[in-house]
Amino acid sequence: MTGYHSTACGADGHCITCSDEAFEMRVVESLATGLARCTDAGGRDAEIEVTLVDDIVPGDLLLVHAGVAIARLPAKDAP
Amino acid sequence: MKFVDEYRDAELGRALSAQILATVESGRHYKVMEVCGGHTHTIYKYGVDDLLPANVELVHGPGCPVCVIPMGRVDDAISVARRPEVIFTCFGDMMRVPGSSGTLLEAKAEGADVRMVYSPLDALRIARQNPDRDIVFFAIGFETTAPSTALTLKRAKAEGIRNFFCLCNHVTIVPPLRALLESPDLRLDGFIGPGHVSTVVGARPFEFIPKDYGKPVVIAGFEPLDVLQSVHMVLRQLVEDRCEVENQYTRVVPYDGNPRALEVLAEVFELRPHFEWRGLGFISQSGLRLSPAYSELDAELRYPVPGIRVADPKACQCGEVLKGVIKPWECKVFGTACTPERPIGTCMVSSEGACAAYYNYGRFAREREVV
Repeated sequence: MTGYHSTACGADGHCITCSDEAFEMRVVESLATGLARCTDAGGRDAEIEVTLVDDIVPGDLLLVHAGVAIARLPAKDAP
Repeated sequence: MKFVDEYRDAELGRALSAQILATVESGRHYKVMEVCGGHTHTIYKYGVDDLLPANVELVHGPGCPVCVIPMGRVDDAISVARRPEVIFTCFGDMMRVPGSSGTLLEAKAEGADVRMVYSPLDALRIARQNPDRDIVFFAIGFETTAPSTALTLKRAKAEGIRNFFCLCNHVTIVPPLRALLESPDLRLDGFIGPGHVSTVVGARPFEFIPKDYGKPVVIAGFEPLDVLQSVHMVLRQLVEDRCEVENQYTRVVPYDGNPRALEVLAEVFELRPHFEWRGLGFISQSGLRLSPAYSELDAELRYPVPGIRVADPKACQCGEVLKGVIKPWECKVFGTACTPERPIGTCMVSSEGACAAYYNYGRFAREREVV
């Protein structure tokens, strides 16, 4: 998750972690034990906990908050 | 970008604005509370309130996790953070919330090992890397964030990590809403419900609002058109004399939430008998603490914490702002003694706090009005 703080605390000083806000990330690959490597719209990678969503596959779009996917979003074109 | 551009389309915004104007009855004043601080931020950042008729008033609610943390809990955090064996971790905005004798950021400047993390999982990683130190995570937030803390605690327990602890301040959204609805000094016509909290808990927990209090609720997304459409849906219910829970954010929020997340929350946490909210006082069964099965990871049980209730500074009117009784600019210290750079009250700390959001985006419009 190194380097990810710039997204969590946005350029306008908005801390999405403190604000209970989530954002979209796309699954790149499944990792061991409930984790997946995901990428956000800006192309930044992070290791995300995916235990709370059903079996995910690369390309799935997730709603992520504080490092955890809390929902799967409907399929759509690449962002 | 999909799911973003179409919810920020100016043409659609103007069309919705015209529909709202056509819906409202002149001579009637509508007071609608957006519960979530994320919505407050969207409203000010995108000027959503400028697209509403003068008789539609948006009131900013208590759904900003940082804003509702009372000073006494910050003092508790600082007392733990100052312990030499502790690496204290928390989210970014939390570091700037004033306690009775300073902030976590100031404690860090004075030598305490305080580190900002994006996720409790980052704090757990620090625990793995520093087996000879105690790593304490200061958990804040509503049901959106609580699953992240819960899963981290489950991982810590499963891995047998013995130097990771949680100072839990998680809160739940329904009790403060009920407290607001019971408040005699507040007259609200309807609610914009919290979108991401509802991803976890669903829309069902809000059914008490129409059922017991006769007010409409619309669960809303966070893009400007989401908020605008949700305001329209609330107003339409009012004009048609209906009150029910509607879900504008169907692309994300299932009516019953995320059952797996709710299971994890039920396993790791239990309700406190009562918890203090900034500006709202003690609200029964509104805060979470670690369940007995996770007590060995509970920082409150590991360290002596002062646990003293500290009254808000007299000049600060965060309580009235959080209840929507006054607007941010009506507070005596708004923008003068209290600014985002040097906040007195919590509402000025976090950018989704009503005061900071208004300070950052709305005050210029008001200055134009005053001139």
